[in-house]
Amino acid sequence: MKITTIVANIGSSVYVSVFALLLLCASMNLAGPQASAAQLLEQAGPRPGPAIGRAAVEFQLQTLEGKSINLESYRGRPLVLNFFASWCDPCRDEMPLINDLAANSDKGNYRVLGVAVEDSRAALDEYKKEAHLIFPMALDLNNTVKRSYRIFGPPATFFIDAQGVVRDMVLGPLTKERALDALRKAEAAPKN
Amino acid sequence: MKSFLFRKQRIWIYLAGVLLAACSSDLAPRGESGGRAEPVRFGTEISLGKTQANPAAPFLRAAPDGRLFAVWTEDAAHQQSAGLDHASHNGSGKMAPSPLRDLLIASSTDAGITWSSAKRINRSDEAIQAEENGPKIAFSADNRAYAVWSIPGEKGDKTRANIRFAVDDRNGWFSVAHTLNEVKDAARFPIIEFSPDGNLLIAWIDRRIDNPKPRQLYLMKIAADGQAITKNYPAGEGLCECCKLGMAFADGGKTVYLVDRQVNEKQIRNHVLRKSTDGGASFGAPVEISDDGWQVGSCPHSGPSLGRDSRGWLHVSWFTLGRSENEAGIYYSVSKDGGKSFSPRKLVQANTAPEVLYNNLTVGADNTVYLAWTNLDPENRAQIFFRTIGADGRWSEIQQLSRAKGDANRPTLTLSKNRLHVAWTETDGEASRAVLRSAALSQ
Repeated sequence: MKITTIVANIGSSVYVSVFALLLLCASMNLAGPQASAAQLLEQAGPRPGPAIGRAAVEFQLQTLEGKSINLESYRGRPLVLNFFASWCDPCRDEMPLINDLAANSDKGNYRVLGVAVEDSRAALDEYKKEAHLIFPMALDLNNTVKRSYRIFGPPATFFIDAQGVVRDMVLGPLTKERALDALRKAEAAPKN
Repeated sequence: MKSFLFRKQRIWIYLAGVLLAACSSDLAPRGESGGRAEPVRFGTEISLGKTQANPAAPFLRAAPDGRLFAVWTEDAAHQQSAGLDHASHNGSGKMAPSPLRDLLIASSTDAGITWSSAKRINRSDEAIQAEENGPKIAFSADNRAYAVWSIPGEKGDKTRANIRFAVDDRNGWFSVAHTLNEVKDAARFPIIEFSPDGNLLIAWIDRRIDNPKPRQLYLMKIAADGQAITKNYPAGEGLCECCKLGMAFADGGKTVYLVDRQVNEKQIRNHVLRKSTDGGASFGAPVEISDDGWQVGSCPHSGPSLGRDSRGWLHVSWFTLGRSENEAGIYYSVSKDGGKSFSPRKLVQANTAPEVLYNNLTVGADNTVYLAWTNLDPENRAQIFFRTIGADGRWSEIQQLSRAKGDANRPTLTLSKNRLHVAWTETDGEASRAVLRSAALSQ
């Protein structure tokens, strides 16, 4: 290989490197305000949320009575997992329905768990008494479960079958018809 | 061959030159023409209130004399001394199902470095509401303080609450609070501002007419001595039931601007601006700020923020999910024609994960817009983020202000003596604290 060709190749490599560096630099600058958000998203990595037909996201919580619970504790019977808050209007509107579901849970062989988000123990204790709520409740400290279930805000209800698979979910207020239909799907799923 | 090599070199050099020019605004010091606005350099964190009393829901406001004031809530003092973890009203169904909290106020004469001892504003046991529904203060031109806050309704329902009001009695204390909403158990999310016309204007979301939903916007005008000038009066309807409001004045108080989140019959929740030209007595038809198209059956508990600059431009920031999760984030828009129209929305920061984000803005004397909001960090914790929009329209880089172990939420901002102050609540498990960071501004 001739010296001039080698020099030309080396020169081109240097230019290509400089060009790539500058391209990177320019792209960072021209990306504008969204660049930092994009970086954060990239750092955060993928966070698969719940989906119908997919295994429900595992959780670790403590009920208001201090009992440790997780998704596994509910395996074997369908679970109605309701995210709510004592300060939330639509949650309070749908709470009689959740309470009715809980009242019929033995007959239907399913269970109900309320997960309170952005709430306090004292507020929950009192709300439970005031609204005569009969189902177990847990406080989602630091919003860990809410975030893993990818909920923008309460209320949200997940209908999980006996094998821990999400069979339906309602992000927003629940109606009786919708709840019964979703529950039927969770109950109809194979037990084993 | 040689001439080809040089031609090739020239092409590369030319391309490098073009790219160097594209880079230059990034390499140049911030604030130079064409680049981003200078980042704001904040001091270290200062905690407001007694840590063991779980301070939360701070709100900041500077008095006209330059003193910086903060209000926040804490676990009720008498319950702390009794050694109870969570003081609350009893469960008789006649009392509030919330922990009792005190509303405290303190001031700083050195722009937030040191603080006076905190004074309690409320005199009776109250379950003062916080978060989106937190306490607010305003100041008259002669530095008199006025406070509003919300407490749950008589049957304990937080969503059927009452608005309490107290005035600084000029002897170092506050008057005995009274309830502003004439129909009990119907009002939440109060804001209070001292109008240039010398009176207070208080606005809130009201559910006295609870059906058909959604809620109404109610106002009340109060004189500087704390006496009511008007009764409660409706100023709008169709409000999203649980998001804070924003207010600004112009023309010596004759013009009043209000922003709120509206909800239509299809459950689409967009933000609107309402304008009054008679001091808040009546308002024109709401002007949509942005057609975000967020259709959601529940309330996000995250309202907009409004500021007006010396040119009369109206700056608004808000959170929306938009028409898909990919659109979710904090947005900004400006009206340069007194609220007749708004610029297309600009993304302040996208959501990093499904989460309702909270935002606030304030506007400096030099027309710089200061924005603070929450977003999730890579560890999935909510943190406070910040950026500015210069008077020339240049945006600063995003800065992260908090390093919360748990979550940091609901930032509030104010300006005093060429300093910017941002405060927020940090929660970790069942504990909370109120945090303040301040920055000197180059004017």
